[in-house]
Amino acid sequence: MKRIIIADDSATARMFIKRCLQIIGLGDAEIVEAEHGKEALAAAKEQCPDILLTDLNMPVMDGETLLKWVKASPKLCELPVIIITSAGNPAKEAQLLKLGARQVINKPVSPPVMMNALKDFLED
Amino acid sequence: MIEHNPFFEAMKQAVSQTLENMAFVEAMEHYDQNYELPAEDLVWTSMLIMDPVQGELHLAMSKTLLVKLTTAIFALDVDEVTEDQLHDSLDELLNTIGGLFMSNLLADNQTYRLGLPEFGEGKLPAPEPNSVIWKLMTTDEDPLQIIATGAPLVALKD
Repeated sequence: MKRIIIADDSATARMFIKRCLQIIGLGDAEIVEAEHGKEALAAAKEQCPDILLTDLNMPVMDGETLLKWVKASPKLCELPVIIITSAGNPAKEAQLLKLGARQVINKPVSPPVMMNALKDFLED
Repeated sequence: MIEHNPFFEAMKQAVSQTLENMAFVEAMEHYDQNYELPAEDLVWTSMLIMDPVQGELHLAMSKTLLVKLTTAIFALDVDEVTEDQLHDSLDELLNTIGGLFMSNLLADNQTYRLGLPEFGEGKLPAPEPNSVIWKLMTTDEDPLQIIATGAPLVALKD
């Protein structure tokens, strides 16, 4: 069973992402929810997820800082990180990909876009 | 009528895309551009635009409409929706609308930064004199308003 961490301060956004995951065939994945980057980082260290989906704009620790911490951690540096954000455009996307993000998705997220972003992950 | 320049169109497109994608409803210009949202039953949320221009966006609607949208977003019955879900869904709607608005408005090589939305109820804070207001409605004719304030943000319409 896949284990997925969803980090977003909005319960609405987390629910919406979970619904997209169900629609694309990941309904049986174990979902770990986090309200900010610090919580997501702690969960990632503890639970060894298969993938991390994170918002950018969050209190306590934002998604960009989370991405940098994940990529700097010997234990987590191979963890695929997908950014799901309302503050994304080509310039920001390039910046985040350079930092090691696997994909950047703009909100509002939809099942086809999620499917495309997780294509490699679904094929594993 | 709402003016048809890129600033106005960017917001209309952002609202349409967000409501259609998240709550499965369509949004359009309100047929009566003189209507005012009643202060009673009014809910709103505000979010700062921090970079590259400074300003603030407000999204306001009746609580009745917010309940409709939230039940659609969460796939719940009306009596199952909590106050927290109502607040959070309105905040997330504005967060998504604000991001799309800035993305539609700015050049591809220009990044932007948004604040965190803050929920409010009752009378809206008095808008600044140069504010821009989008008076919209859903296909069920439920009205909603978006207000952009702050001189640097509003100046983008020129």
